[in-house]
Amino acid sequence: MTDDDERELFEGTLRRACGSARGAALDAALDGLGWHEALSVDPRLAVSSLFELLGVTNATASAIDAVVASTLGLKTDPSTGTVLPALGRWAPPGRVAGESLMVRGVGVGSLADAATAWVVADTGESPLAVEVATSDLTLRAVRGVDPGLGLVEVTADALPVAASHRLEPDLWARSVALAQLALAHELVGASKAMLELALGHARERVQFDRPIGSFQAVRHRLADTLVSTEATVSALESAWDDGSPASAAWAKALAGRSARTATRHCQQVLAGIGFTTEHDFHHYVRRVLVLDQLFGTERALTRELGRDLLATRRLPPLPPL
Amino acid sequence: MDLAAFRAALDGWLDEHQGELTPDPGTTGTLDAQMDHLAMVKRRTYDAGWMRWGWPERVGGLGGSTLLRAYLGEALTSRDLVEPGIYSMTEVLAPTMIDYAAPALAATMVPRLLRGDETWCQGFSEPGTGSNLAALSCRATRGDGVWRVTGQKVWTSLAQYAQRCLLLTRTGTPESAHKGITALFVDMDSPGIEVRPIETMHGAPEFSEVFFDDVAVPLGRTLGAEGGGWSVAMDLLPYERSTALWHRAAYLHRRLQVLLDTVRADALDPTAVGEVAQLLYALRARSRATQHRLASGGHLGPETSVDKVLLATAEQAVFDLVADGLGSEVAAGDDRTSDRWRRGYLYSRAATIYGGTAEIQRNIIARRLLDLGADR
Repeated sequence: MTDDDERELFEGTLRRACGSARGAALDAALDGLGWHEALSVDPRLAVSSLFELLGVTNATASAIDAVVASTLGLKTDPSTGTVLPALGRWAPPGRVAGESLMVRGVGVGSLADAATAWVVADTGESPLAVEVATSDLTLRAVRGVDPGLGLVEVTADALPVAASHRLEPDLWARSVALAQLALAHELVGASKAMLELALGHARERVQFDRPIGSFQAVRHRLADTLVSTEATVSALESAWDDGSPASAAWAKALAGRSARTATRHCQQVLAGIGFTTEHDFHHYVRRVLVLDQLFGTERALTRELGRDLLATRRLPPLPPL
Repeated sequence: MDLAAFRAALDGWLDEHQGELTPDPGTTGTLDAQMDHLAMVKRRTYDAGWMRWGWPERVGGLGGSTLLRAYLGEALTSRDLVEPGIYSMTEVLAPTMIDYAAPALAATMVPRLLRGDETWCQGFSEPGTGSNLAALSCRATRGDGVWRVTGQKVWTSLAQYAQRCLLLTRTGTPESAHKGITALFVDMDSPGIEVRPIETMHGAPEFSEVFFDDVAVPLGRTLGAEGGGWSVAMDLLPYERSTALWHRAAYLHRRLQVLLDTVRADALDPTAVGEVAQLLYALRARSRATQHRLASGGHLGPETSVDKVLLATAEQAVFDLVADGLGSEVAAGDDRTSDRWRRGYLYSRAATIYGGTAEIQRNIIARRLLDLGADR
């Protein structure tokens, strides 16, 4: 089999899994079909294909826990989850001062059902990976805008630091980068799904005796959605190629912004029906709002990039030919 | 030669000759000076071999991947040795000649364009035919062994400098639309051609009106089949939206870097700076994928409209940032540097108009990429 054949086969298997299961059942299915091995052997293939599908199907899984943990060299399984940074943030969710650990983070997937969780904590020097019993954490189920996601708020004050080890200084940045690439793919998947929903409606919905997709105002909204989604797809490919944390953050920012663009245009094209819960569209609107918050919003990441550029006065090199 | 070897060798050569190839800052403001300088750079790079890589041997090239010429244009624009708009005309016109001219004609003519001996122009738009290209009416009728051409073109870039014109004419009935168009390769010194340059907002008479009064064009100058001009045009436009854009992205990157070098830190909103840098990154990534598709023999088509929308958006965003950060220079500076920023800003306003307007690109995307059918 060629690499392309293998990729297609793998993606086909993933597609069937994402189409038929979600949450803990999908986690188990992913484990069964070898996604976790793929993550360690070929992270680009594993992350890009799964997360785009999660975005398209609006499914939920604990895969982001595994993505964060894999770069850090930490093991995750159904009994061990990963605490993610609080919404809007990309710094480690924990902070160790003296012998005591404070946690401000979130969890997705099945963190609430896990026995233990990894918390990466700032120490002022290189970060620590701390294994914490979930019973010692305060978990609050978040309803919020996207109850289907199963988000939990994770907090703790003054936990004793028992089982822990120190991480290489740049490991957290690399882990954030991989998580940002994963979330960017998920946002791209959601954008593509929204565009498909809006295109179907634009072709079928007839007003003034013709499909609304024949009106230029409608067509141009959909064209703009495709342009911004395609631009993000290209930026993501480049970010994988160059492998730097900075370009992963840019890809996440572009993905967040293009998903917001897709949300705005597709909502308008879908009009009344897209505003109801009878239509699937609202699930994507909800998911995009939360995904943009995870590991840095497009706004915050873009401002950070601009600050860096104004401070260093140096544009980073562009993708070479 | 592979890309890495070409890049290293060319960079070394350009380092060595940077001084001789750099335009005189005292004259870069005028289009005449830019055209003279461009001809010199093309001749020097042709004679040294660089300009010939990436073009087929049958038209004087040295063969090799099209990526080589993409890199040459990138290197020349990002070192500020040529103006990308006038440099990249070669990328638009030479491939069309190679694909559609009689082999002997292409073999004679293309080297002259590559070497900078000649300038060519592209006679597409007409006073009544802007976005609606298929409605063009400049008429060519078969006479005694020749086409006789009568009509008018407008927005014809560099026509006043050009020795040749790639001209779209109406050879079918007025109602024949895209089926009755024929492309011709016309000598601009033919009797009956009059060129009137048009002053533009950014201060360079970059394009002209061109009048044809019973101009004789040999039948051997027909490009493609009689009545096949539409496909010549449709194959040309993706070139305008691919390699030329790669060069232009390099130029925008350079201008943004110069802005960062000079602007007061508190004059710009960091979020706006970050957003522009991301737009350029995405444009470059997209354009890179297009270049690689072209290099591997892929046919470029309507998907290049996405590249053009990204270019126009990025170009205007870069110069909006210039207008924010260097507002008083753009508004009231009378020194050379301010004048260049001002010209760049004003020219960027055309990015959503030339080469197919932003609206036409979105129409193409809707119809051809999103399968939304014809509009209205």
